[in-house]
Amino acid sequence: MIDQFFIGFWTAMVFGSVAWYSYLLFHVGIKGGRDIVRMIRVLSARSDQAEASAPDRR
Amino acid sequence: MTLATIDWIIIVVYLVGCVAAGIWMRRYVRNVEDFAVAGREMDLNLGVASLAATEVGIVTVMYTAENGFKNGLAGATPGLLGCIMMLLVGLTGFVIVPLRNAGVITIPELFEKRFGKRVRWLAGVVVILGGVLNMGIFLRLGGDFLMYVSGLDPKYTIQVPGTDFQLSMLEAMMTGLLILVLIYTALGGMLSVLITDYLQFLVMGTGIVVTSVLVIWNVGWSNLIHGLWEAHTSGVRLTDTSIPGQTTEITMAHPFNPIRTFGWGWVTWQAMLSIAIVTTWQTTIARVLSARDAKTAKSIYRRTSFYYVGRFGLPGLWGIGAFLYFTSKGGLPEGAGSLTAMPAYLHTILGPGLLGIVIAAMLAAEMSTDSGYLLTWATVIYNDIISPCLRKPMPPWAKLLTVRLLVLAIGAFLVFYGLWYQLPGAAWDYLAVTGNIYMASLFTLLVAALYWPRANSWGAIAAIILGAIGPITFLVVNAIVEKQHQISPETAGWSAFGMAFAGMIFGSLIGNALGKGRTASSAETNKES
Repeated sequence: MIDQFFIGFWTAMVFGSVAWYSYLLFHVGIKGGRDIVRMIRVLSARSDQAEASAPDRR
Repeated sequence: MTLATIDWIIIVVYLVGCVAAGIWMRRYVRNVEDFAVAGREMDLNLGVASLAATEVGIVTVMYTAENGFKNGLAGATPGLLGCIMMLLVGLTGFVIVPLRNAGVITIPELFEKRFGKRVRWLAGVVVILGGVLNMGIFLRLGGDFLMYVSGLDPKYTIQVPGTDFQLSMLEAMMTGLLILVLIYTALGGMLSVLITDYLQFLVMGTGIVVTSVLVIWNVGWSNLIHGLWEAHTSGVRLTDTSIPGQTTEITMAHPFNPIRTFGWGWVTWQAMLSIAIVTTWQTTIARVLSARDAKTAKSIYRRTSFYYVGRFGLPGLWGIGAFLYFTSKGGLPEGAGSLTAMPAYLHTILGPGLLGIVIAAMLAAEMSTDSGYLLTWATVIYNDIISPCLRKPMPPWAKLLTVRLLVLAIGAFLVFYGLWYQLPGAAWDYLAVTGNIYMASLFTLLVAALYWPRANSWGAIAAIILGAIGPITFLVVNAIVEKQHQISPETAGWSAFGMAFAGMIFGSLIGNALGKGRTASSAETNKES
């Protein structure tokens, strides 16, 4: 009986993982893309600020 | 011909696109903080993608598949334990909240704040010893996978033009992979790693889902369950001939119940190791330290936790498929073993196009892992071993150059160590024990530094030294003695934790009693750091 429990448990884990990976692909894929756009925007603004505040550095 | 034209097109398009994206991010790297922690601008979903991509490489796929090949579904137990521990840490904020709020780049940097420079330096040395040894087999396993899944001949050699030097196919694969990774990692650092991790997450995720569905469809779920049980009860054996001059018989352990498969000692060690991994493993913690704030860090952990079940469970499924397949064929091919059975199996069930996607996915996995780890260890060497020894800080251009050179040096080590070192047993046990070299002591120091005001630098040094003894002894002894006299991995692992805890407690008590050393609580008022 305990083996049946483990079989059921691992079945749920494997199929749950396939479903979860599929979900993450879309959810994180789309939102992660937006995060990248935001991050690049912030980093570009920082670079522009740094160049504007130290024009004679080179 | 082993790969169809469509497969090659998919692989080349992916590789070119990924490396180009990584190089493009170089323009945003202004200083070491941008290079090492992406300027601390990483948000939740990018953090999840990056963590998931870095923590699943070909080496992960290989050792988790090997676990499935030898232990059935019970082989996914480390992944389950990792999920539970990561979820608990994400819910409670244990260690990761105070660590993120400390504003450090690496864990040893925190130790300097609490225990002084000497502890930081010693911790850095032990971290690098364990971390780089751990990474030593990554490239080798990656090369093995690519050769077997694409059906290439490992004995084939390539003449280097203009020289008498010949590279084996494995050496060429390893070197080629490394060069690609080094190009964008050395140039763009964590920013490049994040972008390429994102792309690799998409490709790798697709490959993992498609392959898993295909294996289930190919074998049939109830056939898989019955086949595993039948293999276990009948004692069927497969012969591993992967090491020249040596044969090993492989049988299927109890495929469902991890206690019956591994024993309580091993399972509890894995649970302890899991909590140490999620709180101290540098590549995981780097995502915490790169997060916008502690709340984001906790969220990343909660949302990534279940991923760890699939991390072991899905490639483990492929390993199970390989076991059942080769059992039905009467045995493993000549030269194949428990590690290489899975890619050899995938080569038979994946058709043109699909094979290209899976290879691209696995290349993605390998590259994201290698880049993440190269960057991590180079940052630790610079930050925690070199920097504390300098009289005055390096100028920014020199810091960046040093970290980039370190990335290249570690890369060179990977090629030579990976080709030379022979694994004494299962790949996961090697990785767990080499990681244990530093994780036991670092976990002890981290918990003490964050939660025990009376923790003393004497205790910290004792914990670091004593925590490394068990795993190093395991590596040395097991490389020399016969199998029946070897130290079990759980013995090495538990001794590491036990000795580290004892060292910290007794060392701190003795140091405090003698009025020596530096306590974690006095560090806040001590101006001499």
